Amino acid sequence: MNAKPRDAEVQYGAHLTPGGHRLCSAITSGPAVLWLSIFLLIPLVAVGAISFFSRGAYGEIELPLTLESYKRLLGFGQLGFDPLYPVILLRSLALGAGTALLCVLAALPLAFFIARLRPRYKTLALTLVVIPFWTNLLIRTYAWQILFAPESWITRAFHYLGVVNAGEPLYPGVLAVAIGMVCDFLPFMVLPLYASVEKIDWSLAEAAMDLGANRVQVFRHALLPQIAPGLVAGIVLVFLPATGQFVIPDLLGGAKTVMLGNAIQQQFGQSRDWPFGSAIAFVALGLVMLGLTCYARRGAKEGPSLL
Amino acid sequence: MKQLLNIAAGLLYLFLYAPIAVVMVYSFNSARFGARWTGFTTNWYGALLDNPAALSAARNTLLLAVLSTSIATVLGTLLGYGLDRFNFPGKRFFSRLLYVPVFIPDIILAVALLLFYSLVRSWLGLFDLGLTTMVIAHVTFQIPFVAIVVRSRLVGLDPALEEAARDLGANGWQTFTHVTLPLILPGIMAGGMLAFTLSLDDFVVSFFTSGPGSTTLPILIYSSVKRGITPDINALSTLIILASIAATIVITMLQRNQRAAT
Amino acid sequence: MKKSAIAFLFTLFMTFAGWASTTQLNLYIWSEYIDPKIAADFEKQFDCKVTIDLYEDAESMLAKVQNGGVSLYDVVVPPDHIVPAMIKLKLLAPLRHENIPNLKNLDPQFANPSYDRGNRHSVAYQWGTVGVFVRQPKDRPLPQTWGIFFDPKLQPGPFVLIDSVRDMLGAALKYQGHSLNSTDPQQLKEARDLVLEAKKRSLGFEGSVGAKNRVLARTARAAIVYSGEGARGVNDDAETVYFIPKEGSQIWVDNLAVLAKAPHRDLAEKFLNFILEAKVGAKLSNFTQYSSPNKAALPFIRSQDLKNPSIYPPPELRARLEVLEDLGAKTRLYDEIWTQIKAR
Repeated sequence: MNAKPRDAEVQYGAHLTPGGHRLCSAITSGPAVLWLSIFLLIPLVAVGAISFFSRGAYGEIELPLTLESYKRLLGFGQLGFDPLYPVILLRSLALGAGTALLCVLAALPLAFFIARLRPRYKTLALTLVVIPFWTNLLIRTYAWQILFAPESWITRAFHYLGVVNAGEPLYPGVLAVAIGMVCDFLPFMVLPLYASVEKIDWSLAEAAMDLGANRVQVFRHALLPQIAPGLVAGIVLVFLPATGQFVIPDLLGGAKTVMLGNAIQQQFGQSRDWPFGSAIAFVALGLVMLGLTCYARRGAKEGPSLL
Repeated sequence: MKQLLNIAAGLLYLFLYAPIAVVMVYSFNSARFGARWTGFTTNWYGALLDNPAALSAARNTLLLAVLSTSIATVLGTLLGYGLDRFNFPGKRFFSRLLYVPVFIPDIILAVALLLFYSLVRSWLGLFDLGLTTMVIAHVTFQIPFVAIVVRSRLVGLDPALEEAARDLGANGWQTFTHVTLPLILPGIMAGGMLAFTLSLDDFVVSFFTSGPGSTTLPILIYSSVKRGITPDINALSTLIILASIAATIVITMLQRNQRAAT
Repeated sequence: MKKSAIAFLFTLFMTFAGWASTTQLNLYIWSEYIDPKIAADFEKQFDCKVTIDLYEDAESMLAKVQNGGVSLYDVVVPPDHIVPAMIKLKLLAPLRHENIPNLKNLDPQFANPSYDRGNRHSVAYQWGTVGVFVRQPKDRPLPQTWGIFFDPKLQPGPFVLIDSVRDMLGAALKYQGHSLNSTDPQQLKEARDLVLEAKKRSLGFEGSVGAKNRVLARTARAAIVYSGEGARGVNDDAETVYFIPKEGSQIWVDNLAVLAKAPHRDLAEKFLNFILEAKVGAKLSNFTQYSSPNKAALPFIRSQDLKNPSIYPPPELRARLEVLEDLGAKTRLYDEIWTQIKAR
């Protein structure tokens, strides 16, 4: 969609009186703002609030208010010191970053490939990338359980290549989770990246080559700056949600790769410790907001639209 | 270099489609357990028709998607328009808040709503988990997507068109219904379709806010897979995959016609 | 525009129409634990609809009930050690025995149990044991010990652990010669470390049904399951075997209970009464292959099941079996240890 820059002189609502302006504003934004205040803002605040409560003997939420949940997050639980949750957090961040990196590596060839196609095939190629994206994530994820079964040829190939020890199944495990994550998030990276790649001014690359640059230098200095916005958008679209993923580590990592999402689910399920689960969720929320704010600040310098 | 690119792209497409292919293939496996191929059969598809849980889940999924998309499209469109055209106190804050459901891990939203429903239930007795709570939850994460899409469509509008309408004597309401609305309709439909798909595919939020008898297809698939993959789940999944592919193709073609028309 | 609006409203109406319910019973039960035909028979006899939601472990069920399920579901199936907790949390409705005349069908040792005197809140449903389900060739049987999971030298191949707090920790405690109901922090810490070490070598945690399916699918060699899954697994695949390890294990009783705010309390009690009928009880046990607490049902149960020591353990086996108790405030210790085990 090509956005025409708006004339600074055009003022919408200029024909309205201040009262009329308020009325129009209330009718249009009012309902959604009310909805989101009740069902988004208040629940998120509630998560923060509950994290300060205590857990009863059987999992009820009760007073007194306490910092115990946060102490446990830092490692001080009932049975001594245990840096478990900081490790889970780091592991989740690593998974998010790793997924983003792998997606970048996979998306670059795809984006360039599609950009170089004849125009009539471009839509087809893009649609082919998008179709898996519109297919249910659960289905695509559990399918990897079948693909990674002990007798499957993928597992045997991996054993042969020495990526995994023989006798150790691929699933459940970190490698399976990583592959599942990349498969899921790849379209999120390809689409924004392709949007940038398509607009590349190749004359810059040609000029660089004429000036004697080798391929790496051409990429770094002539191409990379041009695709940077798409790249960054893709990374943000992958990294933040990947860190909090629950389904893929659950289905492909089993109980062996616990990430933030699984830890939160565990507390609201089997472990029945809502205050603690809320604390984990609240910290995760804080980190995501931090990441978003940083991105927004950078984005504000470069241009208004985020997506 | 060109060859390398083609090979890489080919492998990547294979990678993207491997899961879909394997599910479809194994839905015809006659073995009940395991990844061993023991023969071809279409029995599992027939068994689906006798499976009340699957049929009820399909009905719930569609009902949930239709209800939530309807509400979210209306609210989201209004919000997109309102954010683009008018001011109100706290507008900057809400513009930022709008992006939260887009980026936060859905489990955070899911447990936040679960918590909220619990608290309200203990004070007011409302919000027993079930279809209603699920619809509310879905609308909450759909509104931002619709609003963002509609708003970006609005930003791209040529202001001259609306100005012309007003110069010709139309008031605000007439301008909106006869000029603005038709022009942003593709955006509204795109937002609506996005919202619809998000609801159909949602698992995490539904999982935490569902009650008895309101199981959806994703929840059913997850619970079944946790007990072990069986060919009847593969059959169900194949049907869902085929439906998604058909829908994607239809939508892409519609969009191309739209673009050609405008 | 108008045509599509009408089409839309029509679809909406049709989906709503199919949704209008007659009276309904909301059952929340373990997976593969009730014969679908029994639910269908109940629907026909009482002109209602039975919705069945499933769970894989007792603590998740408790979590769902605490989170609002108490006013959504009518009947749940808690194990013996959870019933006192649910009573204390006021989650169970007292049973009106005048609506459940078939209580007399219960075997005396299951009537008036220690965890619920007078059957005030619960009625025995099925009972069984916790044991090991393995695939083994006829000529080379595996040692019948929990060491298959906990001793690296005895590992027979890939295995799964059971995704249930008391059951898994109980196995570790028994392997170390302690009681299943230990609240000694030192013993529990040792059990935790044992499970953590086993977890590293395992394929992860599964519920009993999922674990049995993994062994049948040959993706795992050994699993911890309940006796019914063991019996059914052996039926499906003659190469497998279910045993109770020599260090001892757990014997449990699952119970039907009506939730405190059940929306269909009368129908729920009718359901309990229905399950306690002799023929229904037999149909149930013939399907689940768990042991029946229903004396009147015994004549109608498959005779090879009655003679199967996995399902009806003989006295010398019963001597090795311990019952789980509700640990009151000390449950917290188990929950925190379990979180540590799951999270690492």
